[in-house]
Formats: sequence, C-alpha cells, structure tokens
Amino acid sequence: MGQLYDLKVLIENKIKADGLDAMEVKGKIGLRSGRMLAFIKADTPDDPAAVAKLKQAVKDVLNISA
Amino acid sequence: MKWNLIRTKVLAALLACLVVGVGGTLALMHYSFARNSQALAVESVSGAQKLFTILESREISKMTAVSEMLIVNPQIRDAFAARDRDLLMKTTVPLYAKLKSEGITNWAFYTPESDATFFLRLHSLARFGDITMKRFMIDEVLRTHAMVTGNELAKGGFGVRIFRPFYDAQGKEIGYLELGEELGQFIHAMKSQTGEDYGLLLSKKFMDRQAWADSNAVWKRRDNWDDNPDFVVADKTTATDSIMRFQGELAAVPAEGTVLEHVRDGNSVFVRGIFPIHDAAGNTVGAMFVVRDISAVYVAMRHTQNILVLLIIVSLTVGIILVLTLLNRLVFRRLRHIITVATRVVGGDYETEIRVGSDDEVGQFEQLFEQFRRVFVDLLAHLPEMQEKG
Repeated sequence: MGQLYDLKVLIENKIKADGLDAMEVKGKIGLRSGRMLAFIKADTPDDPAAVAKLKQAVKDVLNISA
Repeated sequence: MKWNLIRTKVLAALLACLVVGVGGTLALMHYSFARNSQALAVESVSGAQKLFTILESREISKMTAVSEMLIVNPQIRDAFAARDRDLLMKTTVPLYAKLKSEGITNWAFYTPESDATFFLRLHSLARFGDITMKRFMIDEVLRTHAMVTGNELAKGGFGVRIFRPFYDAQGKEIGYLELGEELGQFIHAMKSQTGEDYGLLLSKKFMDRQAWADSNAVWKRRDNWDDNPDFVVADKTTATDSIMRFQGELAAVPAEGTVLEHVRDGNSVFVRGIFPIHDAAGNTVGAMFVVRDISAVYVAMRHTQNILVLLIIVSLTVGIILVLTLLNRLVFRRLRHIITVATRVVGGDYETEIRVGSDDEVGQFEQLFEQFRRVFVDLLAHLPEMQEKG
C-alpha cells in the first residue's frame, strides 16, 4: 500500500471517529488536492507531488498533520 | 471583515451613501441657514434704515409744525422780541414740559447776532448768554435765513433738529428758534416697532469732547467717551455691549448698509448689520447697529435638519438591510448551495442535485451547473468501462 492510500484511510478514520459528513469532507479535500479520493486504491502508485498536495489538504480541512 | 466579498463591498458602498447623504444634508442645511440668515440680516438693515428715515422725516415734520405754531404765538413772539427772558421762560416752560413728553427734548432761542448767542435753553434753563459751538446748521441758517433741518451734534446731544429764523409782529428777524429730538430715542421707538435691537454709534472725528461731556451732563448720563477708541455709544436698546463690536471705519460703511455676521450667544443666534448716519452737512458721523434674533429660524432649521438626517439614516439603514437580504436570498445562498453540491460530488455524493430556484441570472448558472454535474456523474459512472476499453 502506498502513501496516498494510507492518507485516504487516515481521512476515513478521522471522519468516522468525529462523525463528520463524509461526502462534504472528502469533497473539500478532493477539491483542495485536485484528486478524488474515490479513485485512490490500495495499489494506486504514489506520486510525491500528489502526496504533498493531499497532506496539505488534510491539514487544511481536518487540521491534522499526516 | 473580508474585503474580497461582494457583500462587504456592497455594504461599504451603501455606508458610503449614508455618510454622503447625511453629510450632504448637513452641508445643504448649513448653506440654506447661511443664505436665510443673510437674507434676514439684509432685510433687517434695509428695514431699519427705512424706518429710521421715516421716523426722522416724521419728527422733522412734527417739529416744523410745532415751530409754525410757536412763531405765530403772540406771547412768545413778543417776549422774545422784547428780550424779556423771564416772560419768555414763564410762557414756554409749561409748553416745553408737554413737548418734551412728545419727544422734543431740545428747545432753544438764539439772538440774531452773527455769533448766534443762546438767549434761552428750555432744556437747560440756567445756561444762557453763551456763544454756541461751531455748527453747520447755524452757519446755514445765518447764511440763508431759511429753515435748516437735519442731524447734528450740539451741547444738547446728537439729535435731529430744525433751525429757523424767528420774526416779530412786523416780520423782522429777531432771532432763531431751534427744536431737536435726541436720535437715541429713535432706536427705542424702532425696537418697539420691530422687536430688533439697535445701537447708535457716533464717530469721535466729528465730535467735540467737551460738547459730549456737556450733553451727558444735561441728560444726567455717564460720560462714556473713553469706552471706545474711535466712537461713542450714543444709545442702545440692549444692556449688553456685544452688539457694538466693530473694527472697521464708520465712514467706510456703505450708504445702503452692510451685514456683518451672525453670532451665537448661548442658545440664541443673532445677525448683525450696520448702516451709516449722516449729519446735516452730509458727513457720515456715525452708524446704527441692527441686531436681529434669528433663534427661531435657527431652531426650525436644526429641527428640519435633524428630521432629514434621521430620515436619511432610517431609509438608508432599511435600504441596506433590504439590499443585503435580497442579495443573500437571490445570490449568496444559491451560490453557497452550488458550492456545497459541487463539493459533495467530488466527495462521492452523486445523488444531490442543484435546485434551480428561478430563471434569473443565478438560475441560469444553477441550471448550467446542474447539467454539468450530470455529465460529470455520468462520466464517473462510465470511467471504469472507458479504462477497460482504453
């Protein structure tokens, strides 16, 4: 599993733990990172630029450091 | 406050309108008050000048009529012709008391010599036999042997006077008769008619220090010669000297008078004006101040101003609330809905649709965005199939 997928799992866990609106949170992160989380699979290859953008989006929306 | 928001910009523009509206109203009302007070002051100066001229003419006519009666009175005529001062005094003193109550404060007989010696002063019985001061009116009556009228300062004060030859039963000139009224009493008559306050100033250039002192002694008034450097206050209708403030040259006051300024004194607002007073020789020997209380006009203006300002504030506040409410309902709320739906689509919610509220500009955008959303969702649905084919 790659970093992108790990980040996706982290996000889903956070949403579940905090009882957040999954569609809205995923949408915001997707728009900020430029990537739809639905398309990130376990075998999705990592791209350093994409990973950095996703981390920044997670920090902006969920206020957590990935 | 975020300045990049349309809401903030609209609010700032509306607040600017409010400030401009209130400021404009205040400026307009101030301008209007200045114009009105100027007009009232001009009216006061012009009215006072006309009233003064009317009173002056009326009193000259009155004194002329009285002098006609005196001239044909045989007892007075014969006593004066006989130079019998006691008899003349006995005959005229009771009459003087009546004339004085009607405003004629000065009454004198002069002998016909070229130096015009006082034979009898009804207003100052103890003083006689003295030679009168150099006076234009006396010079004129001596030169023309006809009646001369006008304003002049004499030992009896500054007044409107008539000066005329006096004849015996045979028509021979036996002396001169002078009747006069103090100008100071005019201003009290003017105040009773107009309600405005007046002050009479006399320029020291045309006055004799001793004559002024004598005049004050005759009328038992304080000698105010040293109160002001260039003029004396002959009389005023108010206890305060504040209306007399004047820095210019009395001789420079234009013939039609001029408005000075409007002044505030506590809760009262006054406008001041001044017009020149000429003597019989045509010299500008003094000036009369006119003070009009325009507090009622000022209060009315302030009341109107307050109502207008309140009206503008209320109407613009209502306008601001209305505009922002409309913007919120017609634009901002619908834009937020589009943003929410777009965000949810990216988050994986393919079911929520964009509600098209109306067919206005934002409605057209909602419709377009909903169509785009459907295409996008359809594209996402067929993406795996397309990848397999690809």
